[in-house]
Amino acid sequence: MPEGSKMKKPDVKVVILGDMNVGKTSLLHRYTERKFKDTISTVGGAFYLKQWGPYNISIWDTAGREQFHGLGSMYCRGAAAVILTYDVTNWQSLAELEERFLSLTDTANHDCIYAIVGNKADLTDPKAQLPQDSDRVSEDRAECEEETGSQVLSTCPTPPASPASLSGVMVHKQVGHEDAMALYGRILRYKGLEENGSLPAEKMCFETSAKTGYNVDILFETLFDLVLPSILRKRNENQQSPTVDLEDCRGGNNKRGKTACC
Amino acid sequence: MESENQPRGEAEGVKIHDPPSESSIPAADTLATSLSLLGNHMFPEHANPVEINDNTIVNKEAPAESVLSDAPAGEQSLDAEPQVNQVKELETEESGIFECQNSMYTQPAGGVTEEADMSNGQDDSGEFVVTMLARGKLEEQGVGVKGRSSPLLETGTLEAPAFLSHRDEDVTAESWRQHRKHVFVLSEAGKPIYSRYGSEEALSSTMGVMMALVSFVQSGDNIIRSVYSEEHTVVFLQKGPLVLVCVSSSRQSEQQLRGELLYVYYQIISMLTQASIARIFEHKKNYDLRRLLAGSEKILDGLLNLVDSDPSFLLAAVHCLPLASSLRDSLSQILQKAITPNLVFSILIAKNQLLTIVQEKTVIEDARLEPADVHLLLNLIGASSAFQAGEIWTPICLPLFNPDCYFYAYISYLDPPECTVCLLLLSTDKEAFYAVAECKRRIEEAMVAQNSLSLIAKAQSYSVSQVGVSDLRHFMYKPFDVPDNYRQLTQFTSPEMEAPYSSEEEKMRLLDLYRYMHSRIHSTSRPLKLIYHVAERETLLAWVTSKFELYTCFSPLVTKACAITAITKLLRWIKKEEDRLFIRYPPKYSTTPNPSKSSRGGKSDQQDSTDNGFLSLL
Ligand SMILES: Nc1nc2c(ncn2[C@@H]2O[C@H](COP(=O)(O)OP(=O)(O)OP(=O)(O)O)[C@@H](O)[C@H]2O)c(=O)[nH]1
Ligand SMILES: [Mg+2]
Repeated sequence: MPEGSKMKKPDVKVVILGDMNVGKTSLLHRYTERKFKDTISTVGGAFYLKQWGPYNISIWDTAGREQFHGLGSMYCRGAAAVILTYDVTNWQSLAELEERFLSLTDTANHDCIYAIVGNKADLTDPKAQLPQDSDRVSEDRAECEEETGSQVLSTCPTPPASPASLSGVMVHKQVGHEDAMALYGRILRYKGLEENGSLPAEKMCFETSAKTGYNVDILFETLFDLVLPSILRKRNENQQSPTVDLEDCRGGNNKRGKTACC
Repeated sequence: MESENQPRGEAEGVKIHDPPSESSIPAADTLATSLSLLGNHMFPEHANPVEINDNTIVNKEAPAESVLSDAPAGEQSLDAEPQVNQVKELETEESGIFECQNSMYTQPAGGVTEEADMSNGQDDSGEFVVTMLARGKLEEQGVGVKGRSSPLLETGTLEAPAFLSHRDEDVTAESWRQHRKHVFVLSEAGKPIYSRYGSEEALSSTMGVMMALVSFVQSGDNIIRSVYSEEHTVVFLQKGPLVLVCVSSSRQSEQQLRGELLYVYYQIISMLTQASIARIFEHKKNYDLRRLLAGSEKILDGLLNLVDSDPSFLLAAVHCLPLASSLRDSLSQILQKAITPNLVFSILIAKNQLLTIVQEKTVIEDARLEPADVHLLLNLIGASSAFQAGEIWTPICLPLFNPDCYFYAYISYLDPPECTVCLLLLSTDKEAFYAVAECKRRIEEAMVAQNSLSLIAKAQSYSVSQVGVSDLRHFMYKPFDVPDNYRQLTQFTSPEMEAPYSSEEEKMRLLDLYRYMHSRIHSTSRPLKLIYHVAERETLLAWVTSKFELYTCFSPLVTKACAITAITKLLRWIKKEEDRLFIRYPPKYSTTPNPSKSSRGGKSDQQDSTDNGFLSLL
């Protein structure tokens, strides 16, 4: 049964923001389809429904292009989590988060969770070139063999200043982890939140690679776990019938479903 | 007049055909220099500026006819007598559309052309509408005898696989120049905006030269329209602050190339709206529009590939998937029932062809969806298909409907993971995503209940063999202005391209033949009603009446008599099948069931000044 006739009502909303070309669509694609493939720059925004245990999480993959800026606040309305994405090899993409995207989150929930994600870590970091999860190694290997597989070890010592990027040679990392953490601090201040009362920067700043899968599952699963309270609260308000839960559980993603069903 | 405007391929130098102002004379030098600069880059085979001047014709006014038409050799007169009866039959079939008068147009360069000529005023007997048909005299051309390599024998350059980016191409390489059709978009200030091949940056000097050309001619109160060289046709189109340039070796007519540039312009408008482009350049003349268009290159690339490979663009008509009318009606009803305020169009697409379109009542009253707008929508869907599982919500402007406003398009596939059946819902309300997505669920539900998806999956384009005419290989039929079709989307029908047109090269070759026939039929100087064209590997017949436009392709051995009988049969077959081949009665719905508290008020409340507002139409 494809989408089925049954309406799946989303319990919670997660929005991915960030400049064009940083890899938002690729990250989501890696997470949902377990693949890295060529993308086309997103138009407007794309809405996905992800089953997380008994819950339905809606994810908005937005377009980073300036052209679609006007839609951003609509996508963010009522969001429980926002993933602010930049490209570790592009300083400007981090700056854009603050200049262009942060204000869009004004329409998000008050208790909205923010994650800062530096993508394309595979270009700068040898350890991000190794597929994360042992059970997915073979699959990833097959896909990324030419680009990464054999080169990982031999190219590690390449000086980070090397500009070549196409053949798996390291690229200069323009944005460090500490830059992202500093931005996280500024976001909390912008939101008027106490640093102690909020989630720590170490936990909410990720470096990922949609290409190899590095940290991708961890990113989404951490966020999903963190929005659970928000889901439960919403469910209580709406008094959802338990039959829907059961059905959703059955159709849900078994492996990761277990970790979430608590 | 004609002979003056018509490039004959002789050495004519840089010639300005329409010099109403004196400035053209002293400035000719500059123009020649610009041209040779352009030539150095685009056509290095003529790197010598003198040579370029010798072979280049600058046309500042619409040229009489394309270069294509300058090959009269091999055109033959026909023994027409036997056809009279069949033609009569045709006429009766089409119930007296023609006031026939005979005219014979003899071309000086040997060989006799006979064709239906409807250009008035060239001849004192210029009252004729269709001449040939009355006497059964048809134009015949042997292409093979042409003086220079025939455009019709040229095979289309195969495009590289879609994923291979042309952006990284070396613009100094020979392979770059070899592309069959280059398209450039620049701003009036000469800033590069788009190039089909190679990066805009690498081409900025070339584009600068192009802009120099444009503004040079402008300074003399003229508009540059085209430049002809031996190998290439360069066509210019200025739209507001944008200048579009096509450099083509495809041998298409200038008119056709300009039409294609217009599609490119419309696609840009569909992303940004005309009003905002105007506003941007008013503020800042040398604004870099790539800031806003960055990321859209693939959409423009995709459009140009479609323009080259899909005759819908040439015919300015929409191709719909043949479907039993009962099934089409039931699909329309499903769409008609799943509505929400501010929803204005519901469109169902399968295999990139239309299944049905349903419109909001108020909208259809004063406007209809233009084929070009549908083409842009279909291209957008194609270009956003990379990640098909999601539901897309994006602003889009339909330039022919209203070039200054956005619709919000909901795009979703109904049959994941195959993703062949696509639902497109257009709303005027930016915030309506969830309401519109809910319509999709209802449509999905109804389609499951009626098993529509598996019925749609069985639908497919038809084979020409179903027509039952042995020599007929392919055709394109576009009806217009018949009562049923009035105020309806212009459509055309065409069978699958089958052997011998199964390879990409052969498909392109047939399309090129059709383009040639089309350019003759629609020639501005000497439009034709009917052309019978004997090519080397096939015989084509194109015929335009007040009711339809028809292009047919036959095996080369067909006789004229057979071709005409075949067309009679074909027209009968189409008539019989039209309920299946076309969307006949597009249903309407009303999303404002209660006019007193209609969407009118709601809409203006939601109007958002940040992105040009919404349709102020309802
Ligand atoms: N090396 C590497 N390339 C990546 C990675 N993620 C994405 N890319 C590439 O970056 C380009 C842009 O990726 P997208 O996912 O389309 O970017 P986006 O952020 O969705 O862009 P918009 O939709 O335009 O906002 C593509 O060519 C991807 O192949 C990554 O982790 N590593
Ligand atoms: Mg994207």
